[in-house]
Amino acid sequence: MRSTHLALPLAAAVLLVLAAPAAAAPQSPPPPAAGSATYVGSDVCATCHTEVAGNLAKTRHGSHAFASLSAHGCETCHGPGSAHVEDPDNDALRPKITRWSAEQQSAVCQSCHKGGEQFFWHGGVHERRGLSCLSCHSIHSFHSEKAQLKETTITEACLSCHKTVRAEMWKNSHHPIREGRIGCTDCHNPHGSTTPKMIKAASVNDQCYTCHTEKRGPFLWEHAPVRESCLNCHTPHGSNHLKLQKTSVPYLCQQCHSNTRHPGTLYDGFRAPTLDDPARGSNRVFNRACLDCHAAIHGSNHPSSPYLAH
Amino acid sequence: MRTNGFQGMLPALAAGLLLLLAGAAAAQEQQAQQDPPAQREQAKAFSFRFDPLVIGAMNTDVDTRSSKFQEYRDLSSGFLMGFRLLGEGTNDRYFDLDAANVRRDDARYTLEYGVLGRYAVLFDYNKIPHRFGNDGHMLFTRTGPGVYQIADPTQSALQTAITNRFTASPAGVTFDFLNGLVQPYLATAQAVDIGLERDRTLARIDLGKMGRLAWGLEYTHENRNGTRPYGASFGFNNVTELPEPIDYDTSGAELAGEWSGGNAGLRFGYRYSSFTNNISTLYWDNPFRFTSSTDPSAYSSPGSGSINGSAIGFADLAADNKSNVVFLTGRSKWGNWFANGSASYNQMRQDDSLLPYTLNSSIVGINFNGAKFDPTNPANLPARSADRKVDVTQLSTLFGTTFGPSIGLTFHYRYYDYDNKSHEIEFPGYVRFHAVWEPIARVTAAYSYKKQNYGAELGWDLARSTRLALLYDRESWDRTLREVKSTDEDILKLSLDTHPIEAFNVHASYEHGDRSIGPYNVGAANATFGEPESPTNLPDLRKYDEAARTYNAFNVLAQWMAGDAWNFTLGVNSRNDDYNKSLFGLQKDDVLSYNAEVSYSPGANLNFFLFGQRSDRDVRQRDRQSGATPSTNPLDDWSVKFKEVTDTWGLGVNGKLGALWSYDVTANYSKSDGEADFTAFPGGLPLTPPRPILDLPNYEDIKLLGVLGRLSYQITPNATAGLFYRYEDYTIDSFILQGLQNYLPGALLLNADVGDYRANLFGFDLSLKF
Repeated sequence: MRSTHLALPLAAAVLLVLAAPAAAAPQSPPPPAAGSATYVGSDVCATCHTEVAGNLAKTRHGSHAFASLSAHGCETCHGPGSAHVEDPDNDALRPKITRWSAEQQSAVCQSCHKGGEQFFWHGGVHERRGLSCLSCHSIHSFHSEKAQLKETTITEACLSCHKTVRAEMWKNSHHPIREGRIGCTDCHNPHGSTTPKMIKAASVNDQCYTCHTEKRGPFLWEHAPVRESCLNCHTPHGSNHLKLQKTSVPYLCQQCHSNTRHPGTLYDGFRAPTLDDPARGSNRVFNRACLDCHAAIHGSNHPSSPYLAH
Repeated sequence: MRTNGFQGMLPALAAGLLLLLAGAAAAQEQQAQQDPPAQREQAKAFSFRFDPLVIGAMNTDVDTRSSKFQEYRDLSSGFLMGFRLLGEGTNDRYFDLDAANVRRDDARYTLEYGVLGRYAVLFDYNKIPHRFGNDGHMLFTRTGPGVYQIADPTQSALQTAITNRFTASPAGVTFDFLNGLVQPYLATAQAVDIGLERDRTLARIDLGKMGRLAWGLEYTHENRNGTRPYGASFGFNNVTELPEPIDYDTSGAELAGEWSGGNAGLRFGYRYSSFTNNISTLYWDNPFRFTSSTDPSAYSSPGSGSINGSAIGFADLAADNKSNVVFLTGRSKWGNWFANGSASYNQMRQDDSLLPYTLNSSIVGINFNGAKFDPTNPANLPARSADRKVDVTQLSTLFGTTFGPSIGLTFHYRYYDYDNKSHEIEFPGYVRFHAVWEPIARVTAAYSYKKQNYGAELGWDLARSTRLALLYDRESWDRTLREVKSTDEDILKLSLDTHPIEAFNVHASYEHGDRSIGPYNVGAANATFGEPESPTNLPDLRKYDEAARTYNAFNVLAQWMAGDAWNFTLGVNSRNDDYNKSLFGLQKDDVLSYNAEVSYSPGANLNFFLFGQRSDRDVRQRDRQSGATPSTNPLDDWSVKFKEVTDTWGLGVNGKLGALWSYDVTANYSKSDGEADFTAFPGGLPLTPPRPILDLPNYEDIKLLGVLGRLSYQITPNATAGLFYRYEDYTIDSFILQGLQNYLPGALLLNADVGDYRANLFGFDLSLKF
């Protein structure tokens, strides 16, 4: 395996070279103005839009800090409003951000929010699929306690589009999402990431290891598909089977292991015990099946455990 | 388990650095104190309010002790409290203390404080319970951390009874005989609840978030404490399920800087993570052996073949490990071009001391040169610690441009190198299930792989807010020591996103993947053998993660807002995976889901939503049963078809009744119906001796109904009283849990309660704002 210790400094150099001309470039201009309209000031907006102004005042966007970052208050985002003030009944002159393209909408927010979690918004999956910041967030009429979301929680915001996940998280084996112990953003960054599926970490496994650190190893005796991807055996949003398995043991294991003697044996219903006939049961079927003996399935350090028993 | 001086100091170092940065932040506060007196006076003003403070109580009535009811939560009867304390100061200072489920097992406390645009401090304490089963029973007594013992008289009596039976007739050591022996002891066995709690702490400080250069320092710590079911085994006929002791400490720290300038940004940092297992070895008695012994068949004890074995077993629980990551990310935009990139380098290390081969003093080890040695002495191991090292390098870039107003082209490349640098350790043999020395040399295998993705996406804005995109991606794997050295998968994806009017949008995609593989080396498992062995796996089986495969997936989501009040959503999702070149193993995995949602919100007085999804899953696999060598007889084949149908419904309605009353009702219903249909051939090994083949109609049949209703009355604008009621009904019929008892053929089980329950909860609360 070739050493790649030069890769990181080389990548850094490339990134710096790319960043340099852009660093010198002027910041993107604000969204399109309504013709030759001029700025009228937030106080003028508030004379009619009292409820909106009232809601905004309670938020960070209505704070003194925001005012110091934005020269024009409401019009920092909406653009100059003089044309609308002069002819308020003319719908075409209303500076409604929702009329703009997704790219224009996001550009408004990104004029400030381009770092941190929003670092990779541009070029990210949600942006390329036509979403904008306003797809999930609302400046004036949000329903969440934090992050100004249109839905009451982060999870509800994600589930407004990702419907299959809503069903999966109600399955028998699940991460504690529906209980509110963790949320979608504990694993994903909806604003964009360089990892597929907007996973926050460098890979699926690295993400899983943030909570399941005992599986990180590396171990003396490895189970190779575990090292490649946890998703080889597990389905993280929810499963009808134990421990988020894609298919129930023992059959999951038998999809790869049909070795001589017990691994390749047929374990049908005849091998499942009943209260009337417990003697017919096989410990390769009931309780945790293969894992009744192969407890160290993710890897083991025991010198006598090449078969991941202990 | 080793202690590391630097590791022990790390929390203190992190706290110290946090304090330093907090000091820098406080210095900004101090600047305000140097301002003129009037401004200083104004700066002192900080007002707090509860918004809200909720106190109440609830009564819980559950008909069983199933752990599924409170799997991840605490719904026990008792006092309730939660609050949000908000503070606002001049100069944009803010304070936000959020407390939920105060003093309960699932409590969470979050404190945020800062000055907008300057700095932010976050503390979060989150308790997450995870209950695995209640009222398990075991013959064992926990006599120390990680030590489970059975009273000597019990062990001795059981061994004597089995010995006498075996002497009279080896064939008499049957399940019925053993069951008769253990039942009197099980009748008085201690009960145990199996579960653990994660206590997570996070501390974070961010400086200069809205400025050109921002810094962030984060420290995390989790203590995980409790037990988890563990399959401790003495052999094919002697599984002894135990509560694995869990006492983990996971600590992490991250220091990151971020620079934003014009159209570019750079983010760089270092992240450290350390895992410590405070109980790294599990010891447990063998219920059927008081004295250790061995013979060539002892791994099948107790049974007609042998009644020997070790009096004590031991397992190496999760090993301590560490990870150090440096990372660099960047983004850039210039003209019509943009580029994003990230790079990281991760060193993962694990160097736990190795346990001896066995604790069974009757076993004699045989070295490479034929010399005998004591395998209970760790000094006779070829290495004294694991010394495992993996370096992971990750590079990722996405760059692109637009041609005119409608065409966009992006390229992506991703490289992930899992480089296992661990040296090989060769063992002259091993002890099988603590019972028998197997003189089969085994070698640790340093699995490594490289994964690369590269491709491009061409996007075309067909019309206003309508985009058609075609993506090509090639995913290539290069592996060491597995069956398939290299695989390549070509993926094509067509997506359409349209939002032609504000009230309507559609997102649709179709994806096709085609994976081809290099030569399949059936003998790859020999990498872990000192001397090559004949392959024991079926030569025509293809492990599905390395197998040739085609897949087709499509997704459609359509959303329509009809007027101001109605919202309709329809969705269809499908994925079909075909392993058409695999004669054995996974053959097919198909999922089809369709869902619909309707919501109605005519105003603040009424909100209603209804959601439904059906998911159909069809999985097929094929295997062949073998004896001592891989079978070549097609009559020995067997196959199974799994079908899982899952229906999920959700309903919610909330609104106001008059000016002072409000209500909120949500209901969720999930039902899964699974079956497994087996096929085998008369005369083949699977049905020898002749017997019926039984399908599994209960391949996970599960139902969960949950209803939560709430009625609130506004006493004053700042005080609201509420009554709530929760009903849950859970049933499970699973082949894997059916007929479970504390003793079954070859297994002594905890048989903890994870089954049906029905729960009613009543409660009231008072919500105050002041």
